[in-house]
Amino acid sequence: MIVAENLTRVYTMGNVEVRALAGVSLKVAKGEFVGIMGASGSGKSTLLHILGLLDRPTSGSVTIDGTDVLGLSDHRRTLFRLNRLGYVFQDYALIGELTALENVYLTPLVRGTPKDEYLERSADILRRVGLGDRMDHRQSELSGGEQQRVAIARALVNSPSILLADEPCANLDSQTSKSILDLFARLNEELDQTIVMVSHEDWHKEYFCRVVTLRDGLIEEVTECRKGA
Amino acid sequence: MFSGIRVSAFLAWKSIQRGSRGTFALTIMIIALIFVNLVFLPSIISGVVVTFETQSIDFDLGNLVVEPREGSRYIDGVDGLQRRLEQIPGITGTSPRIAAGVTFSYRGRSAASTLYGITPEDERSVTRIADYMTAGEFLSGGDTDAIVIGATLAGTEGEEAGGLPSLEGVGVGDSIEVAYPNGLARTYRVKGIFETQSFGVDTAAFVTAREMSGVLGLDDQASMILVKTAVNGREEEYKTEILSYGVQEDVWTFREKSGGFVDQAIQSFNIINAISTLVSLIIAIVVVFIVIFINTVNRRRQIGILKAIGIDQQIIINSYVLQVLFITAVGALVGIVLNAGVSAYLTAYPLVFPGGPVYPDVEASAILRSIASLFAVSVVAGYVPAWRIAREDILTAIRG
Ligand SMILES: Nc1ncnc2c1ncn2[C@@H]1O[C@H](COP(=O)(O)OP(=O)(O)O)[C@@H](O)[C@H]1O
Ligand SMILES: [Mg+2]
Repeated sequence: MIVAENLTRVYTMGNVEVRALAGVSLKVAKGEFVGIMGASGSGKSTLLHILGLLDRPTSGSVTIDGTDVLGLSDHRRTLFRLNRLGYVFQDYALIGELTALENVYLTPLVRGTPKDEYLERSADILRRVGLGDRMDHRQSELSGGEQQRVAIARALVNSPSILLADEPCANLDSQTSKSILDLFARLNEELDQTIVMVSHEDWHKEYFCRVVTLRDGLIEEVTECRKGA
Repeated sequence: MFSGIRVSAFLAWKSIQRGSRGTFALTIMIIALIFVNLVFLPSIISGVVVTFETQSIDFDLGNLVVEPREGSRYIDGVDGLQRRLEQIPGITGTSPRIAAGVTFSYRGRSAASTLYGITPEDERSVTRIADYMTAGEFLSGGDTDAIVIGATLAGTEGEEAGGLPSLEGVGVGDSIEVAYPNGLARTYRVKGIFETQSFGVDTAAFVTAREMSGVLGLDDQASMILVKTAVNGREEEYKTEILSYGVQEDVWTFREKSGGFVDQAIQSFNIINAISTLVSLIIAIVVVFIVIFINTVNRRRQIGILKAIGIDQQIIINSYVLQVLFITAVGALVGIVLNAGVSAYLTAYPLVFPGGPVYPDVEASAILRSIASLFAVSVVAGYVPAWRIAREDILTAIRG
């Protein structure tokens, strides 16, 4: 369960203050698949960064499964990201020196997973996102959409209890997008994974339990989409 | 913790494997050259000391020198003293010498230098001068009108020896006149010429002790007795030993006889060496720092990503430290090879010093010390820039 209360995030650039978040409160239950939508610049990435423990809000609080994650030391936050979260960056954020497979198995390696297991799991997840024949390619040898799918595979490889995905389908054609969303939906159901996903495609709504729409750093609207979730 | 090191090693290795080959090779080369610089100078200094000491022992003084006690000009009862000395275990030879400052003359040229009276067989048991004849032969016991002279003293026709005594072109078979300090003069036939490269020795000359005793009116007397021991480097122990056998004369180690010259030279060399070491290490610090700094700055985004996906900054820092360790290890290895090359060259074509040819004497301790200081310096110089970048805010780093 993610509980965010009254989040604000103010960027100061010289004399100009940008309020990326102006007071956002949000609860995401365990196993929920939530969509965050809104115009460009409305604060979606900023919110996801904060929920993903990559950034700290200017004010407000974030509790995940009862842990006040803002109160954790940097070291604890790093471990929290490693062990509990999967994060798909809007700009993929792959390690250019590593191949697709290495990018994916890096975190299981850090978690001390046995070699056979992390190799198998990483190859498996890459196949599931349709990159079975691209495992040994490096970032520079992959298209934007392929890079995006490597980023997705990396976020999923440890079966994290919470998946945060920032426009994971932005660079995918609608058919690939659909297969990725199907994968998310299946993981959400099978593993009871909590998913918070930023999107601006209307048709994605059919996958979400709930859609939170942001506008100028505030929640404009919350819509229930899917019944029975 | 263990898996942390594994990840650091993984990242370090990928970075070396897929990073710029040129930068890598250049860095290794610089580290290797710094290593050579760290090892080379001490090896030459040590070589100078070794040369000086072996030359002193082999040609000039033996390991120890027995001299007349304070106030006497000569040691009396040389035969008996020699026999007593040779009873001491570990003493392998003794050679009494009579020394006199004389003037040598040849074809109107003259030179003042030292003439020694020796017993050829005894001299052979201590010094190696007899093995270094460039012309003619060494003295033998019965010689009375023969002299062997050093190459510098013999000189070369038409060449002055730069302030050193020289007869400018004496050859074997030539006759030279020797004016003794007591006013007597003798003419000797040159039997041989030796060259030891020790200038104090190569400007001297030798006749038999029997001949010189006759001229100077000495009986069973000598100016000094050179003592040779089985091993070098234990002169102090032998000195104590000799004194404990009741020898009444003064006993000096060859080091004491060289009047602290070596010690002084070593001290000056050590100062030069310390400065050179310091400069080398500073260069090493700067080079490694710049390399890792550029490396980390170029990888700011990557470091941010690594932290974002849950890799602890210590693991990231350690991956840079491991890279530095690897670079330093390879650099030191290349350095050892380069140094072996330089040493081999200088052993084949030694540097020529006034005391004789100097061979680089690479001590294992100097190599270990250089490796240790290189590693220490590199780790620090690699850690600091990695640490600075790794603690940067994640999103700032990812944005680049
Ligand atoms: N590092 C930053 N410095 C200054 N302004 C920022 C920074 N990051 C985001 N912003 C601003 O905050 C607002 C929200 O940005 P963001 O959360 O990225 O929007 P979205 O993801 O919805 O497009 C935008 O106006 C953006 O310009
Ligand atoms: Mg965004």
